[in-house]
Amino acid sequence: MEAARVAELPGELKYIQYEHSLEAQYLPAIRALISKDLSEPYSIYVYRYFLYQWGHLCYMALDPRDSSLIGVIICKLEPHASHSPPTLRGYIAMLAVSAPYRGHGVATALVKMAIDAMAHRNADEIVLETEETNLPAMRLYERLGFLRSKKLHRYYLNGNSAYRLVLLLRHIDPDAAADLALDDMEMMHR
Amino acid sequence: MSHPHDFHVSKEFTGLSINHHDHYSSQDEPPPPMISSEGIVAIDITRKFVEAAKTLEPGELVKDGYFTLFESVGALEIMDPKMDSGCLAPGESLDDDYDVTRPLLPGEVMGIIDQLLCLEMAWHLGYPLSQTLLTNVYIEAMLNPAPANLKEAHFIRDTENEAAQDPMFIILRAYCLGLLKSCWYVNERIKFEHYYEEEDFVTNTYHRSLLDNIDRDEIRDEIMSARRLVHSLRPKILDDMADGLSFRLELRAAFLRAIELSELRSSPESLSLPWSQMKSVWEPINKSRHFGTPVPEAFSTKLQRRLASTMPPRPIVQLSFEETYDHFKKLFVDGINVLKVLNYTDSQSLLNFVLTFQAQKPQPLVYIRTLLQNFLFKDMVILGHLSIRHVIDDDLSIIVLPCSRLLDPANDDVEAPHDARFAIAHQMELFRQRTAQSYLDIFRAFCQNRCRVRRTLCHSIQDWETVQLDAEEIDQLLQVQLDEKPIHYETTLSNSTQEPTYSLPLSSWAYLYKLRLMEWIVQLGFELETYQPDELAGMYWYLSFLSKTRAQHAERIKAFTLSRHDNLRDNNQLTPTMEAQFARSLAYIRVTILDAAVTWELADALYCLYTCLGRLGLIHPPPRPYSSDELRYDIRMKPFAPISLPKLPSYESFRHATDQRKSSTAALLDYAQRAVGGARKGYEVLSKLSEKEAFTVGAHERWVKGTKSCLRSVIAASIAISSVRKVVKTGEDGRDEPEKLVVEVPRAEACYHDWWIVPKVSERE
Repeated sequence: MEAARVAELPGELKYIQYEHSLEAQYLPAIRALISKDLSEPYSIYVYRYFLYQWGHLCYMALDPRDSSLIGVIICKLEPHASHSPPTLRGYIAMLAVSAPYRGHGVATALVKMAIDAMAHRNADEIVLETEETNLPAMRLYERLGFLRSKKLHRYYLNGNSAYRLVLLLRHIDPDAAADLALDDMEMMHR
Repeated sequence: MSHPHDFHVSKEFTGLSINHHDHYSSQDEPPPPMISSEGIVAIDITRKFVEAAKTLEPGELVKDGYFTLFESVGALEIMDPKMDSGCLAPGESLDDDYDVTRPLLPGEVMGIIDQLLCLEMAWHLGYPLSQTLLTNVYIEAMLNPAPANLKEAHFIRDTENEAAQDPMFIILRAYCLGLLKSCWYVNERIKFEHYYEEEDFVTNTYHRSLLDNIDRDEIRDEIMSARRLVHSLRPKILDDMADGLSFRLELRAAFLRAIELSELRSSPESLSLPWSQMKSVWEPINKSRHFGTPVPEAFSTKLQRRLASTMPPRPIVQLSFEETYDHFKKLFVDGINVLKVLNYTDSQSLLNFVLTFQAQKPQPLVYIRTLLQNFLFKDMVILGHLSIRHVIDDDLSIIVLPCSRLLDPANDDVEAPHDARFAIAHQMELFRQRTAQSYLDIFRAFCQNRCRVRRTLCHSIQDWETVQLDAEEIDQLLQVQLDEKPIHYETTLSNSTQEPTYSLPLSSWAYLYKLRLMEWIVQLGFELETYQPDELAGMYWYLSFLSKTRAQHAERIKAFTLSRHDNLRDNNQLTPTMEAQFARSLAYIRVTILDAAVTWELADALYCLYTCLGRLGLIHPPPRPYSSDELRYDIRMKPFAPISLPKLPSYESFRHATDQRKSSTAALLDYAQRAVGGARKGYEVLSKLSEKEAFTVGAHERWVKGTKSCLRSVIAASIAISSVRKVVKTGEDGRDEPEKLVVEVPRAEACYHDWWIVPKVSERE
């Protein structure tokens, strides 16, 4: 059951970049926040896989009163191999905002910070998947400039399909980008 | 292993570590495992490891270079109840103590069977056996340990046990035997064909054998004798109850029979009998289900712990009986209809069969889709009796080569290397070999789920691009052998002032397919709701561009076919058989041009309408601070960018075409209304074609239904255009009054046809 939403945010939220020294303080809260929306939790290794390598692409929104976690975004950025020449592809792996604080632009702020950070590191494109029924998420990403590039049949364990969303940050030579199999992340949700 | 002495963890951190063993102190560690085997030299690395670990700060992470995301996702945390399949809550027992020998009432047997029907359907829909049928205690007891023969296939293994002879158990057992055996066949069928594991279906049986070594006839005998038993129990059990049980057993027997017959791939009328039987017992099964008493305790997620899987127990997938009823009903109807594909008339009717069959909503279940693949392709024999060559030659003769010397089977018998027919036979064989796979892949692609159809076609168009190029080379060799003279051709669509050209039949054939594939990609994009409202103008414009190109290409084919026909006629070489072949080919070209024309006209109308809605501010593009129109065009058109013919329009021409700055809104709407008028006339003609004229033999009913849905879309578009037209100024005076309107872009499923997203325009209250 969704908690009642707050009418307004508790003042100006603090947005900070994750780093390993914050693991003990914030990882349990990050996991708890993200697991709420998952039928099955990710193991600690999934979080560490991302945070160890791309902690600089993880941002947290904190309550200014007690520094507790309100929202988080987790990403990665690496060359995408099946392209020739390969693109540098950003991937938004997880995004969550605590239910009472939704509807105040916290998720949008986190996504923007992540996009800025990935663009700063020369990402060519940013991709993600979202559940077909998750209209607020799709609206959020599409307002920023993402397009649905394809639909993925029964992508999630609950039997729901997903859309792959893509944000292209720079022009890619069409002759070079002949491969359309953008499926490296699909096992994330299996 | 012991922890380094200075290892400590903060309180919050404790729950995260999997290496945190409270059980062993360093004094009390378990003995090292005995490793002794030839060829293995054991080295104790404890000291080295401890030394290395000392160089790390507490909480510091080390990542192995080969540790992938895949492995991280597959990792488990011991003692986390959602990940650890052996983790029990305090006081929880590993197994439920359900006694399979406890007596069952007739109503309970029916209740269990009905629950099994729901789980069976959930499995067909794509959920794993572990969350469906293998959660049933009777099935588990029957399959584990694996029964070696029919006698052992019983949930009460002890045959001395009197309970095993209880009539209710005999009935339930017979039902389970039939159920599991049909599941085995279904699973094997799906595994054998093209499908996507875990997406369409989960074939994993977790090392449970689904009675694969027990003969189907033996099982059918058990079902039959159980039915006789039910009969003999009257009047001890109520008639309605007895009928209900009997119908359920009949369903199982018929399912096995349907599977058995489907292997024959011939005479669909006789193959459909068991499917019809299932369809007819399904209603009384549904009506009798209130006699059943649910036995929820006979189903448990705990059984998953005994399966060969590392997955923690997942919930049982609970379909309602209403959903189950609908899905089975559709399964039986589809089972009857899919058999009709075996009545081959011509290659284009076959293609239309597959297209219309798979376009159904909801799409046929994966079992039916793999059955269709099996009928089409098994052993490289099409529909059980046609060679691939037969079908390809049929297709070539319909589309580009009626009565052509290129397709004369007698060419194969010519042995003189200098004879043109020898060279023709050779080149045609090369062409068939080059193209057969690509051609059959179109059929295969449409047997997949709709998302995969679109994704597969995005790849196929590149394949067809090279098929077309290779075909053109062969065309050029063949035109020499045939001593073909180039001609000028004129069409109604383009006044040709070009140089005389050759017919290039094989590459023309390939190009026509490529164009259709490209149109299908765009159309499936509408169906799958891939486009945002403000993209619709552009995508309908591109669809119109493609179908216009297809119509022009079909006109070109027609010109060459007519020219060849007239030559033969003028030389008195046309026999009635040849006339008939030409007539068939011209009929095909006619329906192709008509289909392309209605597509482009309705697409034109919608792109103009959406352009106007954008101009009037009735459709707002999102702000998109991180994107540009041009970059989004790159992404959206990525599948088409590698295609050289027709070349993807540049972004500038795309923008120019969808902006239409030079045309007034009123003029655009007037144009849209005229285009709709043309589309309407075209769809009316199409919907009246006979199955022979439309090349939809065996699929005509579905095809007409689709065409009529398009006609309804046309009418809806016309109304929408008129509504917008009313608020748009004409001439220099007045002003547009969009504020009087409300526009809604409906979901594809809410449209008359899911390839035509017609906006709903209404007056503001």
